[in-house]
Amino acid sequence: MKLLVPIKRVVDFTVKVRVKPDGSGVDLENVKMSMNPFDEIAVEEAIRLKERGLANEIIVVSLGPAACQETLRTALAMGADRAVLVETDAELEPLAVAKLLKQIVAKEEPQLVILGKQAIDDDSNQTGQMLAALLDWPQGTFASKLEIAEGKATVTREIDGGLETLELPLPAVITTDLRLNEPRYTSLPNIIKAKKRPLDTLKISDLQTDIAPRSKTQKVGAPQPRKAGIRVNSVEELVTKLREEAKVI
Amino acid sequence: MLTLPEKALFFILAVISSYYTYRGFRQIIDIIRKGQPEYYSRFNRPAERVREALLRTITQITVFRDRPVVGFFHSFIFYGFTFYALVNLADLIEGFFPPGWFAWLGNSVVGNFFRLGADVFGALVLIGVIFFVWRRFVKKDAALERFNQAVLLHPDVRTGGIRFDSLIVAGFIFLHVGFRLFGAGSLLAAEGRMDYWQPTATIIARLVGFGPHRIVGWHIGWWISLGLILAFLPYFVRSKHIHIFAAPVRLGLGRRGNTGEKVGSGVLDPINFEDENIEQFGVAQLEQFRFTQLFDPYACIQCNRCTNMCPAHVTGKALAPSALEINKRYELNSIRSKLAAGESSPRPVMEFALSDSALWACTACGACVHACPVGCEQLSDIIDLRRDAVLTKAQFPQELNNTFRNLERAGNPWGLAQDAREDWIGSDLHVPRISQNADFEVLYWVGCAGAYDPSAQKVARAFAAILAHAKVNFAILGKKEKCTGDPARRGGNEYLYYNLATENVEALNSALLNDGTTKRVVTTCPHCFNALANDYPQLGGSYRVLHHSQLIAELIREGRLPEMILSDKITYHDPCYLGRHNGVYDAPRRVLGGDGTESLVEMPRNRENSFCCGAGGAQFWKEEEPGTMRVTENRFREAESTGAKVVAAGCPFCKSMLSSSESAGKTGAPAVLDIAELVMENLRQTRQRLGLP
Repeated sequence: MKLLVPIKRVVDFTVKVRVKPDGSGVDLENVKMSMNPFDEIAVEEAIRLKERGLANEIIVVSLGPAACQETLRTALAMGADRAVLVETDAELEPLAVAKLLKQIVAKEEPQLVILGKQAIDDDSNQTGQMLAALLDWPQGTFASKLEIAEGKATVTREIDGGLETLELPLPAVITTDLRLNEPRYTSLPNIIKAKKRPLDTLKISDLQTDIAPRSKTQKVGAPQPRKAGIRVNSVEELVTKLREEAKVI
Repeated sequence: MLTLPEKALFFILAVISSYYTYRGFRQIIDIIRKGQPEYYSRFNRPAERVREALLRTITQITVFRDRPVVGFFHSFIFYGFTFYALVNLADLIEGFFPPGWFAWLGNSVVGNFFRLGADVFGALVLIGVIFFVWRRFVKKDAALERFNQAVLLHPDVRTGGIRFDSLIVAGFIFLHVGFRLFGAGSLLAAEGRMDYWQPTATIIARLVGFGPHRIVGWHIGWWISLGLILAFLPYFVRSKHIHIFAAPVRLGLGRRGNTGEKVGSGVLDPINFEDENIEQFGVAQLEQFRFTQLFDPYACIQCNRCTNMCPAHVTGKALAPSALEINKRYELNSIRSKLAAGESSPRPVMEFALSDSALWACTACGACVHACPVGCEQLSDIIDLRRDAVLTKAQFPQELNNTFRNLERAGNPWGLAQDAREDWIGSDLHVPRISQNADFEVLYWVGCAGAYDPSAQKVARAFAAILAHAKVNFAILGKKEKCTGDPARRGGNEYLYYNLATENVEALNSALLNDGTTKRVVTTCPHCFNALANDYPQLGGSYRVLHHSQLIAELIREGRLPEMILSDKITYHDPCYLGRHNGVYDAPRRVLGGDGTESLVEMPRNRENSFCCGAGGAQFWKEEEPGTMRVTENRFREAESTGAKVVAAGCPFCKSMLSSSESAGKTGAPAVLDIAELVMENLRQTRQRLGLP
C-alpha cells in the first residue's frame, strides 16, 4: 500500500509571531520555520503503518517555496521514502492546496492520504475535507487512533463527549489529531540517509490547476496584550473583587 | 642449591608458564589495540606522565585518599610485593647457583638489610592478606561487591566470580610468601643457626627444630614459593590482579591537550561530524570504545570506590560505575580469543554491561572518575553509550524528546520563545546588550535558566544589580544567546550540542575576540561555565570564563562590594560542574566570608567529595530513574544536618533541585539561595546600616 502524506512548512510553535507593520500578514523574516506539528503526527503514523507491514511506500509532499525542501528532508529523516515539492511562492488557500493535492493523488495513486487536521499558522482545518470531497473519497477526520485491515480503515475520532469510531473503505483521507501518536526523534544516520532519498520538484504549471485565491485578506492584527494581573491579599478580597469589579460571580 | 633434576624440571615448567603468560598478555594487548583512536593525547609529555604515574603508585596516595585503613593494609602488600620482585630473583639465583656465589652478601650491610627486608615484608604481606581475606569473607564489607538489586551484573559475577578470583589470589599470596618464609626458616634450621636479620624465619626455625635434615623444608619452601609463581602467572593475566601492571600504566594515560596541559573531567571527547564516513555514533559494541576505555577494565581492581560515591547508586538506582568496568572485564575475558583474533564482539555492550535505567541514571557528576584510584574514566563510557542510544538508535527517555526538540527549535530546554529571552530584566534594571555597550569589559552570559526560570531569574537580576552597583562595565548577548548545549551533550545528543555550540561560538567570537581585547565572560550557571570554558575550545572558542562567585570575590577584594556579614548559619553546596569538574572551591567560600568563618559550616561531603543535587547529565529534564530515594533529598538532608539556616548554591539547577526536595518543603527547613542573592541582601543591609538609600 502506498501512503501520501502532505506536509506544510509553518512558523515554529516556539516562535512568538509578529505582525507586519502594514497589517498585511505575519512577518516571516528570519523566523524559525518547521513542519506543522499535526503533519508530523501524520508522518509518524504513516511510518508506524509501514513498520507494521501495512504499507510499503511513504511519499511526502509539500507545496510552497524552495525552503520547503528542508521540511521534506525532516520527513525523510523520520522515515518517509521519497518526497515531492510543488514549488511556488504564491500564497495558497486550502482549496488551492486540495486541488493541487488531488493532482498529486492522481499521479501517485496512493490508497491512503494522511495529513494534519489543520496547520498551526492559519488554523483553517479545511484541506483534508476538501481533498476528500474533490476525490470523492471517504474521510476520517481528527483521528486519535487508526487501524488498517482488509482494505478498510478504522478511525477513532475524538468528538465532544466521547469517541466515535468510523469504518472507511480504502482509498480514504485521514486527518490527524494531537493524541494519535508522539512523533519520533530522528537518529543521525537517518538524517544523513535522508539527504540521499529522492526529492522531486514540480512546478504549479505542471499540474494545470487554478490556484487563484477565493478570499482576500483584509487586515492582520496582533491580539490585545493582556493587562497585568493584581495580587490580592485574602480570599475575601478575591471574592469581593470577582463579584463587584469583574462581576463574574 | 637445587639438584640437577630439580633445575631441569623448573626450567621446563618455566618455559611452559612463560608461553601461556605471554599469550595472555598478547591477547590483552591485541584487544586494547582494537580500540578507537583518542581525541586527546595519551602519550605526549612522556617524562611527565611516567613521573606522575610513578609518584602516585609509589606514594599510594590515591589508595589512601578515601580509605585510609584499607590503604594502610594495601600498602603492606604493595611495598611487600615490590620488594619481593627482588627476593624472588635472589631466591631463583640461590636455587640455581652454589651458595658461595652469594657469600659476599652474607653479612654485609646490604645482605643484612636485604634479608631483613625479605623477612619483614614477607610477614607484612601475610598480615595484609589476612586483613583482606577477613574483610571480604568474614566482615563482608558492604563497600565491596554489595550492589543494588537492580544493577546488571555479568553472569560470571553473579555466580561469585569476584570472590573466587579473590580467594585464588589470596591463597597464592599466602602460600607463596608463607612457604618462602618456611624455606628461609628451614634453611636456618638446617644450618643450625639463628639470624637476627630474619626474625620471622628464626622463629620458624625454632618451631620446626634444628637439624641438617631440615634442608628438605628449604626445598619444599623453594618449590612451593617459586613453583607457584609459574602456576599462577598464566591465570594472573586473566584475573583482576593484573591491575598491579595495568593500574600504574593507566595512571600515566590521562588526557592531555596538544600543549601538554591536563584535560579536566568536565571535558567530553567530541565526535567529528565533518567526517562523513562515520556511520556509528557513540558506542554500541566493545570494539567501538576508545583504547583507554578498553584499558580501564584491566586497571580496575573492583574496589567499588566509584560506586560508593555514585549519587545514583547511593540512592538505590541501577547504576554502579564499577559494575560497568567489571562487566566489561568479564565479557572481554569470555570472548578474548575471538576478539584478539580480529572477530567482532558477539553482543552489544548494553546487553551485559549496563541496563537502560542505569544508563539514564547517571548525573554526569564525575564522582566516579575522581574517586577512582587508578584513573579510569567511567563517565566517558556512559556518555558514549548514550550517544549510541540517542544519535544512532534514537531510543532514549521520552521526556528528553521534548527537551531536545525545545533546544532545536527554541534554543532553550524550556521551549520558551527566544523573543522572551530578555524578559527577566524587567523595567527597573538597566542591563545593556552588546549593541548598546560595545566597550564592555565583562560579558554576562545569563544562560537559559537565568533568562526563563523564575527562581534563576531572581539570581540573574541580583547579579546584574551587583554588577551595576560595583560599576562593572558589562553587557549581555541577549537574544543572540542560546543554550550552550550542555544538557544535549551530557544527554548523549552530541549533534544537537554541536549545532548549538557552533552558533554560540560564532556569536561569542564576534562579540569578544574580533576587537582583540581581553574581555572576560562571567556566568551564573556552572553548566554554562563548563561549556564555555571546556567544551567550546574544541570548536574554536577559547574564552576567559569566570563563575559569578569568582567575579564577586574579586570585587569584594577590590573593595567594590562590602564583605559578607552572615547573620545565620550557612552551608555551601559545591555544584559538580563548578567544583569537581573545574576545581573552583575557594571563590564561593571567600564570598561567604572565607574558610574559618564561624557561621559557614561544611557538609560532611564537600569540595571534591561533594554530592550531586541530581540535576546534571540531563537529569533535570527527565524523570529520575527508579531507586530508593531522590538524589536531591539525600543531599538536602545532609545540608539540613549541619544545622544551617541557609543552603548557599552557586548553580540555578542545584538551587531548583534542592529547594524542590521533599525535606525542603517542611516548615523550618533551611532556605536555598544563590550566592548572588546572599550578596545582594548583604549589600542591602550594609547600605541600610550606613543609612544609604
